[in-house]
Amino acid sequence: MGLFELFRRPRSGEAARSKAPGIGLFDEQFQRKLEMLALVSRRVFAGRQRAERRSKKQGSGIEFADHREYTVGDDFRTVDWNAYRRFGRLLVRLYEEEEDLSIYLLVDCSSSMGFRDERKFDQARRLCAALAYVGLANLDRVTIVGVSDEIKSTLPTTRGKGRILQVFRFLSQLQPSGVTDLEACLTKFVAQHKRRGLAVLISDLYDPAGFERGINVLRFNKFEPYVLHLVDPRDAVSDLKGDVRIYDCETGEERDVTITDGLLRKVAEAVAHYQSAIERFCASRTVPYFAANIDVPFDELVLRVFRRGGFLR
Amino acid sequence: MFLAGLPLTTLLLVGGGVALATVVLYILKLRRRPVAVPFASLWERVLKDREASTFFSQLKRWLSLLLQLAMLAALVLALGDPRPEASALAARNLVVLLDSSASMAATDVDKNRLELAKKKLLELISGLKSEDRMLIAKLDANVRALSPLTSETGVLRQAVERVRWTDTALDLQQGLSFAQDVLRGLPNAEVIVISDGAFVAPASLRDPLGAKLSFVGVGKESDNLAITELSARRYPLDKSRYEVLLALENTGKKAALVELSLFGDGQVIDVSQLRVEPGERVPRFFTDLAGASQQLEARIRVLEGKDYLPNDNRAFARMPERRRAKILVVTPGNTYLEAALLLDEYLDVTQVEPSAYPPSGSFDVTILDGVAPPAAPNTGARLFLNPPASGSPLKRGPRLENFGFDTWDRKSPVLRFMDLLDVQVASGYALKPEPGDHVLGQSELGPILVSGTRAGQSFLSLGFDPRDSDLVLRVAWPLLILNAINTFVEQDAEYQSAYRTGDIWRLRVPAGLETADLKRPDGSRVSIPVREARAEHFGEYAGFYQLSWAGAQVPFSFAANLQDSAESQIGPQSELVVAGAKAQIVSGFEPGLRQRYWGYLLIAVAFVSTLEWFTYHRRLTV
Repeated sequence: MGLFELFRRPRSGEAARSKAPGIGLFDEQFQRKLEMLALVSRRVFAGRQRAERRSKKQGSGIEFADHREYTVGDDFRTVDWNAYRRFGRLLVRLYEEEEDLSIYLLVDCSSSMGFRDERKFDQARRLCAALAYVGLANLDRVTIVGVSDEIKSTLPTTRGKGRILQVFRFLSQLQPSGVTDLEACLTKFVAQHKRRGLAVLISDLYDPAGFERGINVLRFNKFEPYVLHLVDPRDAVSDLKGDVRIYDCETGEERDVTITDGLLRKVAEAVAHYQSAIERFCASRTVPYFAANIDVPFDELVLRVFRRGGFLR
Repeated sequence: MFLAGLPLTTLLLVGGGVALATVVLYILKLRRRPVAVPFASLWERVLKDREASTFFSQLKRWLSLLLQLAMLAALVLALGDPRPEASALAARNLVVLLDSSASMAATDVDKNRLELAKKKLLELISGLKSEDRMLIAKLDANVRALSPLTSETGVLRQAVERVRWTDTALDLQQGLSFAQDVLRGLPNAEVIVISDGAFVAPASLRDPLGAKLSFVGVGKESDNLAITELSARRYPLDKSRYEVLLALENTGKKAALVELSLFGDGQVIDVSQLRVEPGERVPRFFTDLAGASQQLEARIRVLEGKDYLPNDNRAFARMPERRRAKILVVTPGNTYLEAALLLDEYLDVTQVEPSAYPPSGSFDVTILDGVAPPAAPNTGARLFLNPPASGSPLKRGPRLENFGFDTWDRKSPVLRFMDLLDVQVASGYALKPEPGDHVLGQSELGPILVSGTRAGQSFLSLGFDPRDSDLVLRVAWPLLILNAINTFVEQDAEYQSAYRTGDIWRLRVPAGLETADLKRPDGSRVSIPVREARAEHFGEYAGFYQLSWAGAQVPFSFAANLQDSAESQIGPQSELVVAGAKAQIVSGFEPGLRQRYWGYLLIAVAFVSTLEWFTYHRRLTV
């Protein structure tokens, strides 16, 4: 290493790349915890049949969903004659089609996820693996996609918990790099995946263009978004002092700042405000939201996710 | 104010250059430390809100620059070494005579007069100009320099701290002579006397002072009661009993009721109350006191009135040891002599015939009745009664008949308490004293009682046989014998119930010593020199002393007292007049004249710099 290397600012994601991928991330202890989580999920949601999920796709199920006008070619058996007698209109009964759920686990792989010591990214991968395992164990169709400003990598749709090792391998190969542009990336995602389903976005939502856009892409394309917001408490606390030049770890955008206690308090307030803004946004759009503190063990987080609902039904 | 360091033009050049460099450095941007953040947009939002406070930030920046320039100006000014204008005046040479006599222990001011005087002296030291030189001398009955003639205030302050009062009177004449010697030939000489003025100033000086004389007075009150005299003695014929003379004096302006206590070896002997009018001296006799007391102490306690000087409220006295004197009597038989010797039970008498002389043993005194054999060793002093023509230390003169004592030395201890006027002598011989001999009594026809020393041994010679006179029938006869013995054994001769402080004490010790060890009343010990078998010490403190030396089995104890009525007159004086000239009021000691501001400037710079460093790193001023 040359002398100037000592003073060179590391480029975004460089620190993350220097670390060997997935070392110790999915060890035996982790796998045992996954088993436990699968058992717990079965106990919590006992009575449900596998792949017994209602989908918004009306079809040949047995549970009534809605009426629509009769059109030529419809099965006469589906005509609701009682409704015809009451309203004088030909209405066809629609039933919810029962099918196995497609779960898309969207893992944010931008540089901000690997900021500092990649704890955030590691936690994201553990959470992803846990949710994937539970999904696989429930015979759901699980797809994992690494996102940043583009789709970095995709684990093709798979099912059955025997494929969990494939999931591990895939997650281990993911590296945090690049900037966050959820809107562009998820637009590509929805275009590539016609089969709608549960889209779990595991991200810190540090999107310069705004976190709303990415979530809205999922909403507007009939996906059921589930936001798993990774929160690093250290983002709100800093021991910085004096005159510094801050730069964004993704965009490299710079700004000269004299850091004071007052400024640090303001930044902490801004971080808290940003998180509450995400929470309010999701609540107003009935998007399930869960703030995952990375200091909390992943298995505890997953259980909270289960209890919160929206992931397993 | 003037600059003693770099000249003004140089300071302006240096200051301007460094100030310019400071400004240039200040406006250069600092290379900031790059710090990554996970999401800069959050910071942007905060920083936008803070834009409003930019003006204040800029103001703080400019204030910081102004502070830097102010510190720089202070440093440059320090290089100039600014000093007060008055300190540029001519340097003075000062001798301070600080009164440490007994009256300075008066408590009519805060703590006591000496502490106030020291405080005033410290103020003078603080007001010294940088080039002034000062010598501090402690003045009581003696004068002692405590510092060299120096401008170092630290040395002077240390000298002041060492001063403590003594139980002695003040001798201003001696102090002024000392100051004259120190200041001789020096310019701008000045003598400053710091005292309560409670002394008799010399009406004239041996030599003109040759220096300005200034006076700083201390003290307010004059009320004081003192024991001005205390002496004791044993009765000659009964040494187990003694009498005490004591004098009490009110030197103040108000009457006082006093409790007088007399202690013997720490035990109360007598307590009485006295009313003493202003200026009154009350003598008190305590007679026929009994007990084996060695140490006597008198104390007074003022019950009504004021007493501002505690030093003279105690007096000490020591009584002589009662030791058996060994007496050798060489006589064919003398009833009167034997009877006289029987009166003193503390005499160990050995009587031998002239043919048996000298007997074995050691004696303090040998009484030779009508004989004069050659002096034998260890026979002590000799008392000759009617000595023969040969063998006596004195030659015999013409024979006398019908004579008596026409004159006698009334102050001689041998003849005290005696009246010899009517003594009739039938016959005898006149004595021929030699130079150095002392004629104690003589008739008109010649000396008949002579004392002297031969070969280092004292003698007393009576020129007639007492049995040929009516002396043996008088009280004077045993007194003469016992006084002579007491004189010889020096029990009374050199005995002093108390020495006086302020004098040089010459205490008898065995010959051949060079030093002796003196234990002072406060318990401290000091080695004092011995000259001609006399240990010499300048007595400063009242109390009981113990003198010991190599080979001494029992130390010699003695007492010392102030016993100075004049020193007990503590009325302070507001002015001092010496040899008709009035001392001036001290001037030219303004605090701050000695100030060297560069030190303060550096301290200020260091303080501001530290403050700025602290506030900067605590982010209070950025």
